This record gives sequence, structure tokens and C-alpha cells, in this order.
Amino acid sequence: MSAKPSIASSAFSRRGFLGFAAAAASAPLLAACGGGSATQGGGGGAGGTVKFWDMPWATPAYNDAAKKIVEGFSGANSSKASYQLIQWNNFYQTFSSAVASKTGPAVSTGGGFQAFQFEQQGQIAYADKVVDELKKNGQFDDFLPGVLEPFKTDKGYVAVPWQLDIRPLWYRKSLFEKAGVDVPKDWATLLEAGKAMKNIGAVGFATGSGAGNNIGNHLMIMMMLNNGGGVFTTDGQLDVMNDRNVEAVEFLLELVSNGVIDPAAVSYTTDNLNAQWKDKKAAYGMLTLGVPERVGDTSGDIVVASPIAGPHGDKAALIFPNNIMMYTNTPSQEASEAFLVYYLGQIKELWRQKLMNALPVFKSITELPEFKQDPNNVKIVKEYQPIGKTFAAQGNTLSADLAVLDGGQALNQLTQTILTGKTDAKSALQAFESGLRSTIKK
Amino acid sequence: MTSTTTQSGLARARRGLAPGGPGGGGSPSTTNRKSRLSAQTTRTFFWLLIPSVVLLVLIHGYPLVYAGVQATHDGNLIQTGNFVGADNFATVLSSPAFWKAAQFTLWFTIVGVFGSWLVGLGLALLLRTKIPAGGTFKVLLLLPWVVPIVVSSTAWNWLVATPDSLIPSLFRNLGLGTPLFLADPTLAALMVMVFKVWVSFPFMMMMISAALASVDTTVYEAASMDGATRFQQFSQITLPLIARSTYISWILMTIFCVNDFPTIYLLTGGGPVDATTSLVVLAYRTVFQDFATGPGVAIAFLMTLTLVVVSVLLYRQIRKSSVE
Repeated sequence: MSAKPSIASSAFSRRGFLGFAAAAASAPLLAACGGGSATQGGGGGAGGTVKFWDMPWATPAYNDAAKKIVEGFSGANSSKASYQLIQWNNFYQTFSSAVASKTGPAVSTGGGFQAFQFEQQGQIAYADKVVDELKKNGQFDDFLPGVLEPFKTDKGYVAVPWQLDIRPLWYRKSLFEKAGVDVPKDWATLLEAGKAMKNIGAVGFATGSGAGNNIGNHLMIMMMLNNGGGVFTTDGQLDVMNDRNVEAVEFLLELVSNGVIDPAAVSYTTDNLNAQWKDKKAAYGMLTLGVPERVGDTSGDIVVASPIAGPHGDKAALIFPNNIMMYTNTPSQEASEAFLVYYLGQIKELWRQKLMNALPVFKSITELPEFKQDPNNVKIVKEYQPIGKTFAAQGNTLSADLAVLDGGQALNQLTQTILTGKTDAKSALQAFESGLRSTIKK
Repeated sequence: MTSTTTQSGLARARRGLAPGGPGGGGSPSTTNRKSRLSAQTTRTFFWLLIPSVVLLVLIHGYPLVYAGVQATHDGNLIQTGNFVGADNFATVLSSPAFWKAAQFTLWFTIVGVFGSWLVGLGLALLLRTKIPAGGTFKVLLLLPWVVPIVVSSTAWNWLVATPDSLIPSLFRNLGLGTPLFLADPTLAALMVMVFKVWVSFPFMMMMISAALASVDTTVYEAASMDGATRFQQFSQITLPLIARSTYISWILMTIFCVNDFPTIYLLTGGGPVDATTSLVVLAYRTVFQDFATGPGVAIAFLMTLTLVVVSVLLYRQIRKSSVE
């Protein structure tokens, strides 16, 4: 009996195999140490060009308009600016790699707490001179109340805000009419309305915390803030186990146990959540600005609800003051500052063209006819912005720690534990606090 | 004597060696020529090897060394920080999250490797028989492997994510309740594994098909004439003859499963409540979400070490199978 070999063995040596196996096995190392990341662009603005990196904050039309603004810059000594779009996927890795290799931007937008992360590492150029210039040209007084202060540290302004990413509550009018209930005004009516929604097959408090979806995480913090709680004390110390937080989590668990929150929400991606709103399943819930546009609903049936009150009468909304930061690696600090002042003076155009899914930081932009045409925007500015609190609440000083809170595992774990309903409030919060303590450096 | 010669010939045939060829001792003239060639060309070989060595050092050596530095320091992606020795490893090894992820990785790998192998083997055997449009069928079976993972994970999400998705609706219509495939920790873990098998079986099928293609069909005819049943033919002929291919595919699939980030991350993000968090997902989250570079890289190091050990053990099996 003869048989042919399955694979020619002569080409398969032990050393060759081990080399191959080691190479393949080292993939996680390469991934984890960031070895595979590509840096962007060339030197730090060689030739007097200020490199500006921007994120895809809205549709591609936004990026085209922002690029046009950037390319219109002409500073002293013939300094110019270039525009580079950076994708959100692994953005922190992209920025870190570039900053470490001195190929990063001179000025950029980015993650909400990115400026503080890079400040910790000595890579941020303080914006005090920019703020001085804004005082001179009148833009300083144009800022909405409370949006600039969180960026002031002992050493100076870490960044300058340019838009507010806020989390308002939305509802679908027709579902409330169908269920015969009023739009919630407080937690008690939210529970009752949610039960009525369940009876008509709708979702009373839509959310999600599946792959890549952070709305559920933001909801947890929003409900704590809405009850007068928060993750930090006024002086920035961790304060997870306070009574208000416990009460908020107990209420969320009650919503879960009554089916007001969809039992599958824990796995909902952003697409799943958008589909719920589009398919008229979601009756009420917290989301970003521009929900009708986001889900493609032009019926006018989805509108902003007023903020609800917690059981003690507190009201609050979660707000992220997105900002523009300057880096120490620049062809000219003066050029960076001039560019930033110029750019802040031009961003009005982005709202005028209706390209933004965020609130402006300048009062004058909220008064633009193009902005005021949308009653949802007006309502958000009027009712939500004044009660906006950041992740730093109960304090109001932003820091690098908030990046860990925002994107870290501890908050996601808390959210998913609550949404599955298999916990009690204190256990969930204790695990959350423990997770935060192990990752936040104090 | 005759028997010894025959066995030797069989063993050589299994290793794919021609009588008297390299590896079989060779004739004196062959050996002498080899020695002469080696003497004349050693220096040339050395110089020719240099570009490859430099590339290997740059591509693999530098990141490995740098990862080693990060794993033993308390810094971040930009600054290395202070030397902390094995503290990061101690932190990782004392973390329940690490062991939970290790346990999931183990199950994910076992199901991924053997599930895809079984499906691949079954289909490879099926494709060996003459079926109408066999070529087209084979191409269609390759689709899960060919389609970008982001597309297939999105498609699977559509199929199972919400109570109104196709498969939960089907269960409901059959009176089997409405399973929440991605929201229930156990079902989500199962779903990720099933998805991995679905994505991977074409690779196994191709490996096994290639191995089966080299098996002489007369072997089966002879066995059949000797009265061997189908099962005996499968267990006594087919499996041994594809053993080396099987071990190699197991090694590769083990590495693919342990290192698999997108399959898990795109479908469940590691949730719900870490039910599908594997070691590579945990390493990613630790470095890029908790910004704890040292512990994250330490996890990756431990994974690499485990993979090398598993690979070496399986490689020994390959050697054994070639000796037999």
C-alpha cells in the first residue's frame, strides 16, 4: 500500500516553522504596543505651515467646509495652514504616535479630554495668549456662560472650546399619542409612561451599549447628574458611592426590571439604536443632537423633550465641551495662536451652512437665522445648555482622568451590568468605583 | 530485510522524498558536491541573508524589544515612564478580568479550531465526491473567508441583534421564545464562537482539500477490497494521511483565534459584561481605553508566550506524524 504525503515535508523545517509561529504569535504584541500604527503627515509644520488636524464631526460636507476655512488662513510672516482629516477609529493612537515622533499637528480638534491627556505629557501649548486675543476682538464675551472656564488650569488654558456636544432627551410624538400618556416631566412619570409604551410594543427609554456605542455609558452619568450626583466631588476626588448615585442606579434598574429599557439594549450598536428610532419603536430616550437627520426621519414626529427632574427636583444634562488644542511641536507658536484665533472667528460659517450636529459655544451663532430655524436647536440652547454638566461633575474642572472615565472599561462594565439587570445598585457602583480607582491616577 | 526496506520506502513516501534524494542519506557523490558547494558559497549566502535579517530585526525585533520596554515600565504611549520590573505582569496575573478573558479565549480557541476543522473536513470530504457544479459550490463556500470581517459582522448583527431581527423572529414564530443572542452573556459567547467557525471553516476546508487531493485513490480501492468499512477507511487511511496538514491547520487556527480582535470586537465589543472579552480585546482596551500601556502590553506578552508554547507542542506532533 502506498500513499502520497499530504504536504511536501522538504519545505518545512523546524527553524522555519518556529520563525513563522513566532512572527504570527507576535501580532498581539505589535498591536498592543502600537507598532503597526501609521503616523500622519510630515514634520511639524515645516515651511511655516500650521498643521491642523480635524475629526469627522459631521458629514463629509463639514470637512470640506472646514478645509476651506483652514486654507483661507494667512498669518504673519506668510504663515499658512494645512488641513488633515483624522478618523475616529484609534484616534488617540494616531495622535500619540504622531506626537511621540514629532510628526503631529500644531493645532487640532480631537477627543473631549485629549488636551488634558497631552498636557500631562508636556505636549500642549497653553492658550492664554489666544484667550487674551479673544478678549480684545470681542469673542471672549460671546462665549456662552460656563463653557471656557473648565479649560483653565493652574498653568493656563489647556484648550479653547468650539462646540458643545450635549445629550438631550428626544421623543416621538405619535407614540405618546397612541399610548395616551404625557411626555415625562420627572422620573415618576418616566416610569409610568415607559410602562404604557411597553403595552403598545414601544420602548419607553431607548438606549444601547453594544460594540462602539457609548450612549448607554453617557446615560448612566446623565442620570446620576440628573439626581444631583456625579462621579467626582467638587474638588475632583472620586465620589462614586454617594446616595444620589445609588438612587439613580436603583431607578435605572427599576426601568430595566419593568421592561421600560429594552432587554436587548445592552448589545445595541449605534445602528441598532438608530433603527429603533427610525422604525418607530423608540418612544423616548437620550441621544445626541440632530436625531431626525441622523435616523432619516423628516416627518417632524421626533422632537426634543424638556429636561426631566429627579426625585429631589434636580435637573441636569450631560455636556461635552469639545475643544481645539495647540501642541508644543509647531513651526511657530505665534502662527499657531494666530491660526486658532482666525479659525474661531470663522466657525460661524459651519452653522450657517447647517453642517454641525452640535451646539455652538458662541451666543452670536445661536442667534443665526439658520440655527434658529430648527426649533429643536433653540429648545436645547434654552433648556439644556444652562443645566449642562460635564463628566467632571460634581466638580467642574476637566482633567485627563475623565478620558479614562469616558472611554474606559469601568463605565462600560457598569452600564452593561445595569442594562442586563443582574445586579443591585450598590454592588454595581462598588465595582465601578474599584475599576476607576485602579485606572485613574491620583 | 524486505519488510524493513518496504517500511523505509513508505516512510520516505509519506515525507514526500524520492528514493536516494536529500534527507535520505544520499549517495557519496551527492554529499561531496553539497560540501563543495557549501564551502564555495557560504560567504555569498551570508551576504544574501543580510537584507532578510535586517528586515526581520526591523519589522519584528524592534517592536518586540520596544514592547518589552513598555511591559516593564509604567509610562504611556508617548513616554516610557519608570522601570517597574515585573509589576505589570503581577498586576495582570492578579486581575480577575485577565483570568476571565483567558478562560473565554481558551473556549473561543477550542471551539474555533475544532469547530472549523470539523466543518471544513466534512465539506472537504463532500467536495471530493463528484457533485454537480462542485467548483461553483466550492467558490461559494469560500465566501465567509473572503468577505471583509466588518461586512460579515454587520450582517450577523442584523440577523441576531434585536428581538425583531430575522433569527429571533424565527424562534418566536416557532414558539421557542425570543432569544437575545447578543444581550445574554452565554448566548453572546456562543454566538461569537459560531461566527468564528463560520468565518474560518473555508480556510480549513481548503487546507484539508489540498491534503486530500494528494491522497492516491487506489489506497481506498485496496482497502475496500480488503473489506474495510467506510469508517475504517476514514479513520485508518484518511485521517492519518492528512494528519500533518491537520496539525499545521490547527497551529495556524490557534494563532488566528487567540489573536482574533475584529471578530469579537465588531460583533459584541467584548460584552455583554465582558462575557466575550478575549485576551486580545482586553489588551486593546487596557492600552487604548484605560491608557494603561504597561499592563496591556504585559497581557500581549503572555499571549505570545502561550502561543509559542502551544505551537511548539503541536509542531512536535507534526514531527511525530512524519516519523510514523
